[in-house]
Amino acid sequence: MSMERRNFFKILSTASAGVVATGCGTDSDKLIPLLVPEQDLIPGVEYWHPSVCTSCPSGCGVVARVMDGERIIERTTAGKTEKLRQRLAAIKKLEGNPLDHVSGGRLCARGQAGVQSLYNPDRIRGPLKRSGVRGEATFQPISWKDAISEASDQLLKVKNEAADRIAIVTGPVASSRSNALRGFAKAIGAPEPLVCSVASHAAERKAAEIALNWQGIPFYDIANARHILSVGADFLGGWVSPVNYARQFGAFRQARMEVRGYLAHAESRLSITASAADQWLPLKPGSEAQFLGAVGRILLDLNLAPKAASLPPNVLAAFKALDLAAFIAATGIEERKLRLAVEQLGKSEGPLVLAGASTVHTNSVDAIVASHYVNMMLGNVGNPGGIQAPAKSPIEPLTNTKFAAALSQARAIVLDEANPLYTAPKAAHVREALTKAGFVLSFATTLDDSAAWADIILPAHHALEGEIAVAPAAAARVSLAIGGTFVQPLYETQPISNTLAELAGGMNVTFQPATVKEIAEPLLPKDLTWETVVREGGFHTDATPAAAPLTKSKPAPKAAAPTNAFALNAAKFEGDGPFLLQPYLSPQLHEGASSNLPWLQECPDPASSAVWSLPVEIDPVTAQKLGIATGDNVKLESASGSITAPAYIHPGAVPGVLSMAIGGGHTHFGRFASGRGANPLEILALATEPATGDLATGATRVRLTRVGPGKDLIQYSSEDKEERPHAHR
Amino acid sequence: MVIDLDRCTGCEACVVACHSENNIGMSTPEEAARGRVNHWIRIDRYYEGQFPDIKVKYRPVLCQHCDEAPCEPVCPVNATYHNPEGLNVQVYNRCVGTFYCANNCPYTVRSFNWFDPKWPEPMQLQHNPDVSIRPGGVMEKCTFCIQRIKRVEDQADAAGRPVADGEVQPACVQSCPAEAMIFGDLNDPDSKVSRLAGDGRATKLMEELGTKPKVVYLEKAR
Amino acid sequence: MAEHPELLPYGIIREDLFRPLSRAGSKWWFTVVACFLLVVAGLAAWGVQLRDGLGVTGLNRPVFWGLYIVDFVFWIGISHAGTLISAILRLTDAAWRKPVTRAAEAITLFALMIGGLFPIIHLGRAWFFYWLIPYPNARLMWPNFRSPLVWDLTAIVTYVTGSAIYLYLPLIPDMAQLGAHNKPWRRKLYKALSLGWTGSDREWHALEMAMKLNAVIILAVAISVHTVVAWDFSMSIAPTWHSTIFGPYFVVGAIFSGIGALIIVMATLRRTLHLENYLIKRHFDNMSKLLLTMSLLWFYFTMSEHITIWYGNEPKEMGVFGQRTRGDYAFWFWLMVFVNFVVPVTLLGIKKLRSVKTAVIASFGVLIGMWLERYLIVIPTLVTPRLASATSVYTPSWVELMITVATFAAMIMLYLLFARLFPIIAVWEYKPHSPEEED
Ligand SMILES: Nc1nc2c(c(=O)[nH]1)N[C@H]1C(S)=C(S)[C@@H](COP(=O)(O)OP(=O)(O)OC[C@H]3O[C@@H](n4cnc5c(=O)[nH]c(N)nc54)[C@H](O)[C@@H]3O)O[C@H]1N2
Ligand code: SF4
Ligand code: SF4
Ligand code: SF4
Ligand code: SF4
Ligand code: SF4
Repeated sequence: MSMERRNFFKILSTASAGVVATGCGTDSDKLIPLLVPEQDLIPGVEYWHPSVCTSCPSGCGVVARVMDGERIIERTTAGKTEKLRQRLAAIKKLEGNPLDHVSGGRLCARGQAGVQSLYNPDRIRGPLKRSGVRGEATFQPISWKDAISEASDQLLKVKNEAADRIAIVTGPVASSRSNALRGFAKAIGAPEPLVCSVASHAAERKAAEIALNWQGIPFYDIANARHILSVGADFLGGWVSPVNYARQFGAFRQARMEVRGYLAHAESRLSITASAADQWLPLKPGSEAQFLGAVGRILLDLNLAPKAASLPPNVLAAFKALDLAAFIAATGIEERKLRLAVEQLGKSEGPLVLAGASTVHTNSVDAIVASHYVNMMLGNVGNPGGIQAPAKSPIEPLTNTKFAAALSQARAIVLDEANPLYTAPKAAHVREALTKAGFVLSFATTLDDSAAWADIILPAHHALEGEIAVAPAAAARVSLAIGGTFVQPLYETQPISNTLAELAGGMNVTFQPATVKEIAEPLLPKDLTWETVVREGGFHTDATPAAAPLTKSKPAPKAAAPTNAFALNAAKFEGDGPFLLQPYLSPQLHEGASSNLPWLQECPDPASSAVWSLPVEIDPVTAQKLGIATGDNVKLESASGSITAPAYIHPGAVPGVLSMAIGGGHTHFGRFASGRGANPLEILALATEPATGDLATGATRVRLTRVGPGKDLIQYSSEDKEERPHAHR
Repeated sequence: MVIDLDRCTGCEACVVACHSENNIGMSTPEEAARGRVNHWIRIDRYYEGQFPDIKVKYRPVLCQHCDEAPCEPVCPVNATYHNPEGLNVQVYNRCVGTFYCANNCPYTVRSFNWFDPKWPEPMQLQHNPDVSIRPGGVMEKCTFCIQRIKRVEDQADAAGRPVADGEVQPACVQSCPAEAMIFGDLNDPDSKVSRLAGDGRATKLMEELGTKPKVVYLEKAR
Repeated sequence: MAEHPELLPYGIIREDLFRPLSRAGSKWWFTVVACFLLVVAGLAAWGVQLRDGLGVTGLNRPVFWGLYIVDFVFWIGISHAGTLISAILRLTDAAWRKPVTRAAEAITLFALMIGGLFPIIHLGRAWFFYWLIPYPNARLMWPNFRSPLVWDLTAIVTYVTGSAIYLYLPLIPDMAQLGAHNKPWRRKLYKALSLGWTGSDREWHALEMAMKLNAVIILAVAISVHTVVAWDFSMSIAPTWHSTIFGPYFVVGAIFSGIGALIIVMATLRRTLHLENYLIKRHFDNMSKLLLTMSLLWFYFTMSEHITIWYGNEPKEMGVFGQRTRGDYAFWFWLMVFVNFVVPVTLLGIKKLRSVKTAVIASFGVLIGMWLERYLIVIPTLVTPRLASATSVYTPSWVELMITVATFAAMIMLYLLFARLFPIIAVWEYKPHSPEEED
């Protein structure tokens, strides 16, 4: 670490602090000067500039290696199109920012691949206006001026009629961008922007609020724990902050003298976390609440809950009153095993229970709340190696996930960094909403499933092309990762803040989004200057910042506990098929927003080794019963439709559960993703987690039938046994 | 290089990092179906046992830079050889594509450029200028990111100091979130890798073949 | 059918053996043209491969060697028909060899020319094939002499050269005889090839010496060539390739397939060129016995190879063994055993069944069997690499198949052309030693 730090400073000190880009006008002739070397760009010399990854809410700080590059552009002058070579600053590689507390200099596969979305050949090159029927994805280029005036006219019309019918939909990343959207919504009198994502982690937020009165997603101090029981959270895979937790996991395992952390993992899928665990407890889907109830109860029974007295009385009573045998039976785990696991946890010097909802069930909040109370009785809330309060976020995250209702009413839909047509099930009727709405506007950088339905696309800069600040989803310290402008925009795109300001202007509203500096400055600790923050790519302060006290110290009002009654409801499932569908966030494709990156498509799926396709994981017994072999096409059918996908007979699949990674089945998402595979989210029932209103992704029953042999499963390694059978006969 | 399997989560960040660093050609679904995805580092995954008592083994496998590399003597044109620093290097310009080295690599870590690689405009902007683009017909494999080693050595030379332990970080090592990979000089007894290589969990892959691999695996503690 | 062609009058012999040179039937033309078209198609396929890359083959990771290497080993094996057989027969002075040797030597040369192309066809960058030739380049860099491929190239080039000379030397006296051919271009050709042969004693003596010496050398070269080809495999550490038996095993297999090819060629020549008086039952009988012997030897080697693997029970080798004997390749494996062992032993071992027809049937079987043997050596090992995760499958592409077919066509075409241009049986060998006996 010290080495990395030294290196890093050295590199930055040689880099020019100035901005290389010359900005971008609306006139193509005013693009970057051709073949004229940038003064600041010496061929062969590398510059490292900090920025931030926006591929998931964890907000890892990155550094980008910038060197000179060359591209071919076409330029039309006087009706003649000529091809020209253009020299410009190009990002060669993304690495974690070693100064960033979240990434610590590391990145996940998606983070690494971010540069491929910047240089994706399918990016939108300028403003587009729909030329055919909506949804057909036929567009024609339009000038920024016309595009803005047309879009603002349309928005203004809706605003004047029913401002509350403007639905602004965005993703789960808490950034200067989401901040700007919120400001824009407020300025034009529209409702707060909605989050449409299966990675919004609403259940985690809600549970922390209920049990601990914490705002935000708790932070788990894995590195200092000794024995972790994790429940329902694939924290090394697609959960809240995979890079940070993987870093901590490495340390948890092997960074301490004489101490090796022990991980027991309870989840209804053999995720990469379950694979890395010392023990996997394959839960029945939706039984996390029952499991955690049983854990708490057994701890109490065994007198292994030293801080049981700190529990709210109703909670303690509820633990003591629960029907243990029924709860254990509900989990599907052998009683002896479960008891042993709890005993080991309770006897550890550093126990930690980590719970989340990688798959959301209708009782996920119950489960996570229970986990907090178990941690409370173990006495590790707020302590090293325990669960810690989220730092106050410098950017207020958007938390309204009830997009389906809003969309169905919407007269105007504004899409930014959200792809509701993909991430919401058919049953949410997004397609109907997009058809019905008077006006659909998108700020997409690449034409995705939903942007294909836009009337006007005002392409924003790629996150690496403009200024950005991201507040990490999970951090115990106040942190903000920021990125400046250090490469020229490739196309006729605009910073989202400009676009929003211009749109507002067109609607006769004055609105100027807060700049990154304006967002960060109030939270700056006294000893940190803005220049340092810019150079270091953000701040991750150990000291309590001047203006931002941690919320942790605010104790939960005693009266709050009884109103937030503690319940451990059973999960509800929709439909009548014999199997449960469990879509999951894979480490490479997450919620599908990275599917258009070839590096990630050809990155083998950790479970099935599939590349360029994602299979349905079926357990061997079911497969045998239905005569399904790996590679066969199978049909998954729910009440709201069916999808066909290749099968992978997963030796570790939980019987009766069909897991499938999200990421395939894009109708529109560039050449590398369009029409590839199937989207498991598509056929989900519209079940919700009642406490959050968030989509319950694991609550749909489906039917499974074999379609026939298929060619869609492409495996990098088809062999999954290390030793080949070689009977000596 | 030391790879701690007790830390490795199988997340594949290293795989993408290697692509990003080394200008490795992209596959297409059609080519992938023919078994032609090029990865210089791959994560072998094996299942052991049956549900519910099933274990998963992930093992990153890259060129082991064998001291007695079986791939080297068989190359008719000396395109793959041992450099003075002990790396198994691949000279793309000399390779004529006989495939012999790949057949003789017991770890199957060599990959071949079946066609000239293609990057649709403007993807070439990402190319690392420190690493050559290999044409079709040429064998390639993990270089231990020799360009990074050279860069650090040059910097150290210019500053008139020795290369510090841990200063060289190949792309995969650099990226690994779990910090499962450690790179350093095995010839230096005080380096971190040397220390770890002496760990009780240390093994080498197929050492019995006499290849003297330079990648040390620290087996999962149980 | 004459029992002793030697006893026929020399004039008739000359007449019989030179006749095919001046008469080409429509069947001949049809076959040559058909084969030529196939060869052109093969070249076109190669062109596609050169343009697009080796990706047009079915090769993949880890099956880096496929049909081309199979064909390579097969054709080099076929080449052992001639030189080796004719050299052994020549050196042991087997009297019955006379009508067989040239037919055999021609097979050798053509099979080598074809086989020798495969290592080049198979290269990722074929246009740089000369980098393997042992000479220092502009930077004074030599090829890597530790690589069996360099030995391979050297051995094959030597063998081709030696075989060409070996075929050519006994041709000289016949060329002189044909120097008076009625077609001017042929006259010119034969005259030039006769190198001014006058038939003096000194010339005869020198020729005899050269042929003897050449036979000794070519014998050594032939054995070394196929040993080296075998070493391409056994010098590697791939499971089941790394075997000491491969050298002799490959030589035996080569001779085995070579004899098979020779029997087929002899039967075809006999039929089409009406050489019933020259290629008599005794020749086929003797060749059948040779084939039978080789079949037994082949079986012995195959068994030795597999039984040691099985007994040793080393997991990686057993993986390949399992693939061959009861896995994906079992059908082909047992078919190979059937046609390489059961068929020849039955048809040729039982005296009553032994005939020209059965010899030809058995020989066809052996050719198929030996091609399969090469396939079963190359592919199952590669699809089952040491680390299971790299396991793959291999299906040859149309390019590989086309090129393979084209090489068979090339062989037939070259042979047909040769048999029209040169007497396929050495005429002078029948020449009586005293001039009185001549007419
Ligand atoms: N064998 C041999 N070696 C020689 C010499 C010789 O005659 N023979 N001559 C010597 C002499 S005199 C010289 S000057 C050197 C020349 O040696 P180099 O300086 O290496 O010159 P070039 O080979 O022309 O390569 C320059 C590179 O710059 C790239 N390039 C072209 N335009 C631009 C641009 O605008 N920006 C950037 N970033 N890159 C660009 C080209 O594509 C090329 O890759 O070689 C010396 N070495
Ligand atoms: S964890 Fe999320 S933010 Fe961090 S590198 Fe991966 S995708 Fe980017
Ligand atoms: S990046 Fe690290 S943890 Fe992830 S697969 Fe590679 S070695 Fe394992
Ligand atoms: S791992 Fe394979 S390619 Fe690397 S040095 Fe060893 S034999 Fe050669
Ligand atoms: S493929 Fe290239 S490196 Fe490998 S043996 Fe052949 S020439 Fe040498
Ligand atoms: S050391 Fe470099 S070349 Fe080798 S696998 Fe790692 S990143 Fe790839």
